[in-house]
Amino acid sequence: MSAAAAEVPAAITRRRRHPSSHREAPFGFAMIGLSCLFVAIFTAIPIVASLGLSFFSWDVISSPQFVGVENYQRLFTDGPVLKSFGVTLGMALAIVVLQLTLGLALAVLVNQRKLVWIRTLFRTAFYLPLLASTAAVSIFMGYLFDYKFGVVNYYLGLLGIPNVPWLTSGFGAATTIVLIAVWQQVGFTFVLFVASLMSVPTDVLEAAQIDGAGPLRTLFRIKVPLISPTILFAAVVALINAMQLFDQPYIMTKGGPGSATTTVTISMYQKGFQNLQFGYGSAIAIVLLVAILIITGLQFLAARKLVFYQ
Amino acid sequence: MTGIHPPGGPIARRTVLKAGAAGGLGLAALADLAACGNNGGGSSSKSLKMLYFGEQAAATQLQNRLQPQISKLDPSIKFEISAINGTDWNDFLAKVLTQIAAGTPPDIISVATEGLQLMASKELAIPLDDYVTKDLSALKEYFADIHPALVESMMYQGHLWELPDSFNAGNMFYSTELFQRAGVVPPSENWTLDDFETAATKIAKFKGINAFGWVVRLWGSWTSFMYANNANLLEEGKYDGGDWLWNKAYAGDPAAAGRKGGWKWGAPTANSEGTVEALNYMIELTKKGLSPSPDVGGGGTLQGLFASNRIGMSIGGGFWAGGLTNAGMKNGSFDVQLFPKWKSQRHLFGAGGYAIFKSSKKKDLAWEVLKLLVKPDTFDLVFPGNVTTPGRKSLVTAARYAKTGPKHWSVFYDTLTKHPETAPIPAPPYYNALATALNQRTTQAISSGDAKAALDGLQSDLEKAAGAS
Repeated sequence: MSAAAAEVPAAITRRRRHPSSHREAPFGFAMIGLSCLFVAIFTAIPIVASLGLSFFSWDVISSPQFVGVENYQRLFTDGPVLKSFGVTLGMALAIVVLQLTLGLALAVLVNQRKLVWIRTLFRTAFYLPLLASTAAVSIFMGYLFDYKFGVVNYYLGLLGIPNVPWLTSGFGAATTIVLIAVWQQVGFTFVLFVASLMSVPTDVLEAAQIDGAGPLRTLFRIKVPLISPTILFAAVVALINAMQLFDQPYIMTKGGPGSATTTVTISMYQKGFQNLQFGYGSAIAIVLLVAILIITGLQFLAARKLVFYQ
Repeated sequence: MTGIHPPGGPIARRTVLKAGAAGGLGLAALADLAACGNNGGGSSSKSLKMLYFGEQAAATQLQNRLQPQISKLDPSIKFEISAINGTDWNDFLAKVLTQIAAGTPPDIISVATEGLQLMASKELAIPLDDYVTKDLSALKEYFADIHPALVESMMYQGHLWELPDSFNAGNMFYSTELFQRAGVVPPSENWTLDDFETAATKIAKFKGINAFGWVVRLWGSWTSFMYANNANLLEEGKYDGGDWLWNKAYAGDPAAAGRKGGWKWGAPTANSEGTVEALNYMIELTKKGLSPSPDVGGGGTLQGLFASNRIGMSIGGGFWAGGLTNAGMKNGSFDVQLFPKWKSQRHLFGAGGYAIFKSSKKKDLAWEVLKLLVKPDTFDLVFPGNVTTPGRKSLVTAARYAKTGPKHWSVFYDTLTKHPETAPIPAPPYYNALATALNQRTTQAISSGDAKAALDGLQSDLEKAAGAS
């Protein structure tokens, strides 16, 4: 070992023994401990309790009865619930694709602006919907997209376009909900992409420019590969959120018309809190959790080939 | 992105073990709470707790008003009323059950027809038979004032589970201004479905106005048309029993003739000819442009649209008088009439009342409070501003509706007295599953235009729900 190499661990040792480190350590552990406590109380324990409850039949009122895997057997033969998984997957894929595409497009456009205040203005504008209460937004959007009395159809009518059944036809309701979810969530993806694009090394971009690459070629061959880890992160977060879509369809359509917008979380709510089948509702929740884990795992598998780490 | 890694084996195992132990404890706690909801619980020895559907401000006012009377019965008891907000009784019921699950069951609860059979079948409450029999002379005035149809709707399997104090029947509200503008003569009490459609067609000619608005739910939805078409979602029957009450409290009252021990909801009949015909009629109304596609839920939006004169007619009960006034409608700008006659003029109704929780440790005191709650002077404390119809006939007066309207307020009680075939909404013990399926299948029918397919689906849903209950 060279003298220089030997000095490195010694320096680390010295830093570790710095008096301020001793004072900071308990504070750090306290902070981490607090987070762990919150995660345990509000996430881990409920998940494990739900797993346990999924093996019971429980109507809140009577004592739970152990039923083994009956709830799971029922789930895999329950047509409407299985359909809700299909509806959720379809809507989630549409939301993720639109959210990533739109978020990237907006980030690229905003990043091209030279004036800082314009970039700040757009960043704020696109991020604002995310701060609004989803329930309030959904109620408001329900009024806007009302078939007969909604403002959207009113203005379309002024252009000579007949009323559109935004929320009263199966396809229309699913599409409207997807668009609203994208509108509200795109700000998060956008901010991630803006930050990531700003970290793309300028020398690489300049080299591409010197080599004659146009804006589109630079985007798809240079920028997108370089920010692909952020795209993966955004895709994973967006998909996990979209698979748990509840507020918008529940408030705007109550899962209808028919079951066109009945997502898994709505099925779970209906079975658990409305039909008082908490065991069955828990089983649906656990299967949804497993489905999200599998899909996220697949995303990471795909990322091995598609994501470029510097 | 490199930050996400699966945890190492030993850590993961420890985590799983700890989480498993914690989860087990959580589950055990849930089981305890469930047991508490069924057997133990009740409020503390120093308080008498009541759950109330409405605003806390009104609940507190009622609580303060009744406290002196309760203190006379037991000076050590503090009366506590917790208000629960909700869009409808379904919503209220879900929140009540959550409170029970949380281990805080009340002593007294107000429950509507929607939740009565669920509560009774699960034995959450106690039958009031013994208390009523014991205090029959004191309650003579109460029973003389309240229609037997309301009392019968609070019976299940021959027992009385609640003392009713309010109800709402599905009558037809209309905008007098829109009727006038369209040149439609206000409907008479024996108007027919043809009259209804003629009026609707004239009103629909105004741009931006829908002749008839409705919401998807069990009470006062297309189900009102179904009742007028002599059809129902479930086979109708009545439980035996109840003579202990009818023979004593309603002796000699012709309105009590044929009353039994409560409504017995039998096999589903959701895809019967009459039911399909009723839902098809709604689809036709939509196709003809006489009615917009309905929302699902409590009807707040509908009242708002009606109050802004964008809807000509809608199904409402006595609660619409207060609702429309609160929404800014002036007295005289709306009126009410009986539901139009189709094959019959049978109406549906839902009633509200009070029950004593089985887990209560102060049942005798709770019974005394129940008697206070159904006294005439308590009604307006519980329901300020005509937000429901009084169950006591003596309270349905011109003076009550002088400020709010409607002009034909007498229709509310006439629904019970002039149409004895009027019946409660079909709310079996599996009401929640029924309501969910009904909402889903109704929107399916309206969007697809195929009532038969949707109601075949509803029939199947209800058969499963009935089998599982």
